Amino acid sequence: MNAIPCLTIQDVANLDGVLGDFLKKAEAELTVVIDRGGNVISQFGDMTVMDVTIIAALAAGSFAATKELARRIGEIEFNALYHQGNGNHIFMNSVDDDTIMITVFGRQTTVGLVRFYSASAAQNVGALLKSLQTGGHGFSFDASDITAAPVFADG
Amino acid sequence: MSIINYASREIQFKIVYYGPALCGKTTNLGYIHKRINPENRGDLVSLATASDRTLFFDFLPLNAVVIKGFVTKFQLYTVPGQVIYNATRQLVLRSVDGVIFVADSQWEKMEENVESFKNLEDNLAKQNISIDEIPYVLQYNKRDLENIAPVNYLEYVLNNRKKRVQSFEVVSSTGQNVFASLNAVSQILLHKFSKQSDVSKTAPAPVAIPVEPAARKAGATV
Repeated sequence: MNAIPCLTIQDVANLDGVLGDFLKKAEAELTVVIDRGGNVISQFGDMTVMDVTIIAALAAGSFAATKELARRIGEIEFNALYHQGNGNHIFMNSVDDDTIMITVFGRQTTVGLVRFYSASAAQNVGALLKSLQTGGHGFSFDASDITAAPVFADG
Repeated sequence: MSIINYASREIQFKIVYYGPALCGKTTNLGYIHKRINPENRGDLVSLATASDRTLFFDFLPLNAVVIKGFVTKFQLYTVPGQVIYNATRQLVLRSVDGVIFVADSQWEKMEENVESFKNLEDNLAKQNISIDEIPYVLQYNKRDLENIAPVNYLEYVLNNRKKRVQSFEVVSSTGQNVFASLNAVSQILLHKFSKQSDVSKTAPAPVAIPVEPAARKAGATV
């Protein structure tokens, strides 16, 4: 039996606390914590305007793609990336070897403010995730809970 | 690696379509995107060149209710098949939960199929994952073309391991067995995480017996 890493309701509440505090201070719209494979670990803020799953997949790709660029100038990777738009921007920073934090923000704040507060937020998120790993709780379900019908239907 | 969010009652799985260049990985995703209920899917994102060759990856998020009480999110990715893009394939394979290996059934593509499968094994090994540990199925694609190898030959070449897996005769352009192979790998994946998991019980017997083909057509090498 293989257990799936699990975020309990308390874990999510703890992460939401850190991310909510960060969004308030940075005056940003949305922040998403993802693993480097593109899976969403946690999210907070206005999620109605975009598909967070797609943002996560592309951000993980973007972060990884620039790793080679960083190597060329003698860095292991870039700790942070900033994509500037006309009205909306994305700031991404590394939390740890497995995790990235993405922040979406608009005209009401500045990249400096987001960058400043994201550093401590990433530290706090990293500490929370580390405690989850050492806590080691996983989840598995009964085979009878899985539908016998095809997972996806054609048409 | 999959993850469960107990607060939102969501489980995420990552499935990667792997195979040689121009074998039909993106066509698989295109067909699924076209045929699945829009309420259960997101946009198909393609990072491709101007001539529609996959440069980075294609990505399609799907939602399903397959485990009681949870929304299950499946994230489908393709890799770029061209040999030079191995770094990108390694990146896309990161945290993978299941694989659909798409083989091109044409005789002249046999060497590329074998190389790509070996490349999959190597790239998984770099993540300390053995191909025998990960849920995967085989697609023998382009079965509608004329110059194709018989299924038992493809089985001999690609499915001749101690642990044999399900394989499907596929025509990705018309959708034949596209959903069957996706459903198969999804079920194997889900049962891997169940308390009574025994993948050997959930995976049906392979479709053909691996035998040395009597005659090989010219141009096919293994």
